[in-house]
Amino acid sequence: MSSGTPSSTITLTSSDGVDVTVERQVAERSVLIKNMLEDLGDSGEAIPVPNVNEAVLKKVIEWCTHHKLDPPSAGDDDDSRRKTTDIDEWDQKFMQVDQEMLFEIILAANYLDIKALLDVGCKTVANMIKGKSPEEIRKTFNIQNDFTPEEEDQIRRENEWAEDR
Amino acid sequence: MTQGARRPGFQKVGSDWARAELDRTLLCLGLNVRRVEGDFSIKRSPPVDGTMGESDGEHSIFGPTRTSDENNEFAESTPKPLQKTLNKPFNMTPSKLADANVAPFLAKHIPEQYAPLGPQPGDSVESAMASSRFCYRHRPDLKCRRQADEPTMDKLQHDLESLPQRDRQGIAHVWSLFSAAPPKQRKLMLQGILSQCCFPQLSFISETVDNLVRIDFLAVLPPELSFKILCYLDTASLCKAAQVSRRWKVLADDDVVWHRMCEQHIHRKCKKCGWGLPLLDRKRLRDSKREIELRATNFNMNAAISASSPSHTADTPCSQSEVATINKNKRKSDDIPAEEEAAVKRPCTSIPSAPEEDGDFYTRRRIPWKSVYMKRWKVGNNWRHGRCNVKTFRGHTNGVMCLQFEDNILATGSYDMTIKIWDTDTGKELRTLRGHRAGIRCLQFDDTKLISGSRDGVLKIWNWRTGACIGTHIGHQDGIIGLHFDGGILATASVDTTVKIWNFEGKSTHVLRGHTDWVNAVRIDASSRTVFSASDDCTVRIWDLDTKQCLRIFHGHVGQVQQVALLPREFELDYEEHDAQCENDNHSVLSAAATDSPSPHRTEDDADSVELQTDSFGPFFSSSGDRPEPPRYMITSALDSTVRLWDTMTGKCLRTFFGHVEGVWALSVDNLRVVTGAEDRMVKLWDPRTGLNEGTFTGHLGPVTCVGLGDSRFASGSEDCDVRVYSFEDDEV
Repeated sequence: MSSGTPSSTITLTSSDGVDVTVERQVAERSVLIKNMLEDLGDSGEAIPVPNVNEAVLKKVIEWCTHHKLDPPSAGDDDDSRRKTTDIDEWDQKFMQVDQEMLFEIILAANYLDIKALLDVGCKTVANMIKGKSPEEIRKTFNIQNDFTPEEEDQIRRENEWAEDR
Repeated sequence: MTQGARRPGFQKVGSDWARAELDRTLLCLGLNVRRVEGDFSIKRSPPVDGTMGESDGEHSIFGPTRTSDENNEFAESTPKPLQKTLNKPFNMTPSKLADANVAPFLAKHIPEQYAPLGPQPGDSVESAMASSRFCYRHRPDLKCRRQADEPTMDKLQHDLESLPQRDRQGIAHVWSLFSAAPPKQRKLMLQGILSQCCFPQLSFISETVDNLVRIDFLAVLPPELSFKILCYLDTASLCKAAQVSRRWKVLADDDVVWHRMCEQHIHRKCKKCGWGLPLLDRKRLRDSKREIELRATNFNMNAAISASSPSHTADTPCSQSEVATINKNKRKSDDIPAEEEAAVKRPCTSIPSAPEEDGDFYTRRRIPWKSVYMKRWKVGNNWRHGRCNVKTFRGHTNGVMCLQFEDNILATGSYDMTIKIWDTDTGKELRTLRGHRAGIRCLQFDDTKLISGSRDGVLKIWNWRTGACIGTHIGHQDGIIGLHFDGGILATASVDTTVKIWNFEGKSTHVLRGHTDWVNAVRIDASSRTVFSASDDCTVRIWDLDTKQCLRIFHGHVGQVQQVALLPREFELDYEEHDAQCENDNHSVLSAAATDSPSPHRTEDDADSVELQTDSFGPFFSSSGDRPEPPRYMITSALDSTVRLWDTMTGKCLRTFFGHVEGVWALSVDNLRVVTGAEDRMVKLWDPRTGLNEGTFTGHLGPVTCVGLGDSRFASGSEDCDVRVYSFEDDEV
C-alpha cells in the first residue's frame, strides 16, 4: 500500500496536544484530512486536529483502521431508499460506549468529514430513540419534560394517529 | 477566615483519607458557613455534578460573596502546587492550611472573584487562560453544560443540611476546590479520589455515572445532525420524539424530517416498514427538495422554538404570515390531496388541471409535510384495515361493463348501450351519453374527450362535459371490447382477433395480427412505443409500434386472458421475499402442468421463452436513441381464476395470485396495490409485491366486470347494473 503513496504515515495532533501517528490511508478516511493532504502536500509536519481530544481521536482512528479498505462512500447520498438503521456487528460493538463518547465521536466524524462513521453514530442514537415512549426517551437522555400537563396532553393527541397500525 | 482558626486540629488519617474521616478533615479547611448556606446556589452551579473537563469559574459556589478583604487575605498567601496539597496537607494549622492551599487555588483559577485586585504577576497569564479558554464543549454559548436536575440537587441539599455545620463547610470546600479547577487538575483530583475508593464506593460511582452520562443529543448537536438522526426514525418513533420536550418537538415536527418521510413512503413501499402511502404530487416533493436541504443546514433553533407555541403546532415551520394564509385557506388546503392524486392514476389521461390560481396557490403557501404525511398515513391504514365508505351508483338498466373515475367524475358504460357520467361527491348522475347501437364494452376519458367502443364494432368520441358525440368510426369487423389511448395513439382490441392502432395526428391506422382468438384488452406504453394485448387464446403479446412486430408472447394462463395492466416503472419487487416465493410459484406451476393434460404446444412454448430470454426483447426491438425498454412488470387476469405478475424482460411469470374462485374479468393496478373483480361477484385487493390478498369485498349481486383504482378509492361495476365506489378517505370513513 505504501508503495504508491508518498508517505505511508502521518501525524495528527489532538486538541489536548498529543501526537498520534497513523497510516496515511487510514487518516484519509477523513475527507477533511485527505483534502488537506492533497491541497497542502505532505510536509511531514503534524496536522493539528482541534476539537478532537486524544481519547476520541484514538477511537476514531480505531474505526478508520477497521474500515480502511471500505469502498469510498458514493458521492450522491440519496440514501432515501436505504434508511435502514441496521448497523453491522463490528460497528455496533464499536459504538458500545457511553453517551459522552458517542457524542464526541459524532462531532468528530462531522468535523473530520467521515460520512460512514457519522452515519453509524447517528443511527446508534436513532436506535436509542426507536420504539420508546416519550418518558423512556426522556429517561434515556436525561431530558426535562418542559411541557405543561395540558400541552403534553394536547401533543399526545396530535400524535395519536401514528399508533394506529 | 477567623472562624477557621478556632477549629480543632485534625488527625492524620493516612491512606484511609477517602473514608468518613474525609469529612472531618475537610472541616478544617475553614470556610464561613453563612456563606455556604446563603450562596450555595445549586441550580447555578453545574460544576458540582462533576463533569470532567469543566473549566468553569464563573459559577463557583462561593464566588459572589467574597469581599475584597478576604481576597486580600488570599492574595497574600503563598501559592502551592496542587500536588502538594493532596499529599501533605496535614502538617499545618488549619487556618494556614486553608490559606495556603485553597485560597491560591481559587485565586488562580477564578481570579475575577478571588483576586480582583490583581493576582501575583507570575500567575496572570495562566489565570487569564484558565478562565477564558473553555473546553470547546463547555463554552456557555454552546449550551453543552449538563443540566443539574432538581430532585437530585434537592436531595443533595437536604443531606448536606443534615450534617453538622463544620461538615458542611468542609464538603462545600471540597466542591469549591473542584469547581475552581481546570480540566487537568480536576482529572487528577478524581484520579486521586478514585484510587482511594473501596469497591462499594466504586460500585456507587459506576452506577451513578451511568445515570449521569446522559446527553440530550438533539439539544446539543447542530440541528443538521439532529435532523440526520431523526431521519433514521420510523413514523411512530418520530411522533413519540415530538412529545419529549419543546426542543424535540420543534425538530421532530419539522419539514426537513417529514419531507424525507414523504419521499420514502409516498407511492412506494418502504422496504423497512413494508407499507406505502399513495402517490402525492411528486413534482412538489422534488421542487421542495433543495429548499428542504437548505433548511436543514441553516436551521435556526431559537427562532424555531420561539415561533412554535403549542397552540398552532401543526404550523410550526411556517412564518406568521404563512400561518395566517393557511388558516385563511383552511378549507382549500383540505382538498389538496384529492387534487394531487388527480394526475396520477392513469398516466394516459392528463386530467382536469386545477384552475390556474390553485397551481399558484400551492407554491405560495405550505402545508407542513407532517400533515401531508399524516393524511396519507391515515388513508393507507384505512386501506390496510379495509375501513371504507361505500357509495352505490344505480341507473343503468343492464350490466355495467366498463368504468373510469378521476376526481369527482365517474364514467360508466353498459350493455344498455349508454354511457353515464356521475358526480362521485354528490352521487348524482350528471348526464347520459346515448348513440351506440350495441352494448358498450370499453371506454376511456381524459379532460377533453371520452372514447367508447361497442359490441357492433363502432367507436365513438364524445365531449363528456356537454354530452355531444364528436365522431363515430367503424374500426373493426366485429365488436370492440378493449381500448386504450395514450398520447396521440389509440389502440382498440376486437372480437375479430386483431388490435388496431389509430394515430390521431397522422390520421393513419394499422392492424396488428397474431392472436388466434378474441382480443380482450390493450395497453399502450407510449414511452417505449409498445402495446400489450390480452386474448382469449390464453396469451399476452407485446407489439412494437415502430416495426408493427410482435416482440414476445407470454404463455402461462390456462384460461382466456381478460385484462393486462402495467406496473409503474418505479415499481420494485422485494427480491429477497420474492425469490422464496418464486420457488413456491414454480412448484405450483409445475404441479399444475403435471396434472393438466399436456398441451400440444408446451415444448414449443418452452423453446420460445428460452430463446427470448437470451436477447431481451428480440431482434425486432431496437432500443436505439432514448427509447426505454417496456415497463418491467406486467399483471394479467384470466378466466382460469388467477392473476399473474410477469417480468416482461424475461417473459417469466413471477407470481400467481390465487383466491378468486371463478374467472377474473377485471383488473386495475397502481404501485401499491392490485384490485380485481371476478365472476364470483367478489372484488379482491392484492399486494403486488407479496402476492398476498389484502381484502375481499362483496356486495354485488352479479359477476364483477370492471374495476377502477385510485389513491384512496376503488370502484367496481357489475352485471347487476350497479357501480360501487369504495372510499378510504379519512373523513369519509
